[in-house]
Amino acid sequence: MNDKKKLDRRGFLGFATWAIGGIIGAGFGIPAIAYIIAPAMRKEEEQEWIRLGSASKVELGTPTLFKTKIEKQTGWITNEEEVSVYVLTENGRDFVAMSNICTHLGCRVRWISDQDVFFCPCHNAGFAKNGDVASGPPPRPLDQYQVKEEDGQLFVLGG
Amino acid sequence: MVLKIANWLDERVGWSGVWEAIFLRKIPKVNWFYTLGSATLFTAVNQAVTGILLTLYYVPTPDHAYDSVQYITTQIPMGWLIRGLHHWGASAMVVLTVLHMLRVILLGAYKYPREVTWFTGVFLLLIVVGFGFTGYLLPWDQKAYWGSAVGSSIAGAAPVIGEWVLRVVRGGSDLSAVTLARFYGVHVWVLPASLILLLGIHMYLVIKIGISAVPQREDEA
Ligand code: HEM
Ligand code: FES
Repeated sequence: MNDKKKLDRRGFLGFATWAIGGIIGAGFGIPAIAYIIAPAMRKEEEQEWIRLGSASKVELGTPTLFKTKIEKQTGWITNEEEVSVYVLTENGRDFVAMSNICTHLGCRVRWISDQDVFFCPCHNAGFAKNGDVASGPPPRPLDQYQVKEEDGQLFVLGG
Repeated sequence: MVLKIANWLDERVGWSGVWEAIFLRKIPKVNWFYTLGSATLFTAVNQAVTGILLTLYYVPTPDHAYDSVQYITTQIPMGWLIRGLHHWGASAMVVLTVLHMLRVILLGAYKYPREVTWFTGVFLLLIVVGFGFTGYLLPWDQKAYWGSAVGSSIAGAAPVIGEWVLRVVRGGSDLSAVTLARFYGVHVWVLPASLILLLGIHMYLVIKIGISAVPQREDEA
């Protein structure tokens, strides 16, 4: 548009059309962006204390398996997920809670008591009682949960 | 600089000619009723944009349809707005299409040489109604289910072939997952494709022939 020339009817209507069109476009565009990115903006679900069971079930010096179910919400679907945790205590007071998921490629490890080792069948890995890698390909020890005991019940922090 | 690039492109692509043909074409002195087609076109774009956005979350199966719609309206920011625009836009589109057709009838715009524009318009009206009918079932709530049960049963009233047509429409004798899936498929694939095709012809003819002038009394003309 020419600044020196007075804005004529045609120029004004042309400008108004673009302006209104732009407003309508933004009216659709901005909500659309909010709508599309919403799932990514959701803050990660907070971790919760998950109850495993009675602390007295843990044998001294032997990793003991606890299984429990938690509810996971994805979109409009609520799923039950199984959580398996090995709990170890040497003195009945201090507990270590380990995930049973192999740190190599995610298979489930199993405590073999007569060999004193967590065994992963997928690529023959072994983890020591405290979770350290004893043999095989895993890059790091078994993952640990934060654990607490309350009124004789064991809880781990997860979700 | 921008101008240079624009000119370079135009020399090869020729879009300014297309632009002129569409937006700078000469039209007779007409009145506001002649904007009803453009208004319908606007609602069509609205339905396309908001409809595509809805498919990002909507799942057309009996176990997820209702929950996914509730999720859109209550959990997703602006979901209520997007769904609301699609919901009310659907009604607006039907109303505007009919008003547009009335203006074409009342001002005699369907006559030579615009018969083919009219024919494509008839199919466009059917498509618009088809959108409304198939879309009504998708929320899969009580109103949707029973509304579509009654609506589709009308097909069964036709003599001889009615029963069979009804089974084709529903994909079986009752409303089921099959019905929901085919209504969805028709709503998001069959009808949009048909709409684009027919609207393309409709708009081509409107531009190519030019729109009709307001009819005048014999002695004034
Ligand atoms: C999806 C629905 C439709 C859309 C988006 C649409 C769009 C348009 C547009 C933008 C025009 C330009 C002139 C005006 O706006 O009045 C037009 C003209 C026309 N439409 Fe439609 N239309 C639709 C449905 C129909 C229907 C249902 C009929 C009739 C059965 C029809 C018949 C015509 C005719 C005959 C013209 C030429 C009018 C003239 O030259 O003055 N259209 N249409
Ligand atoms: S996944 Fe456990 S050793 Fe490979």
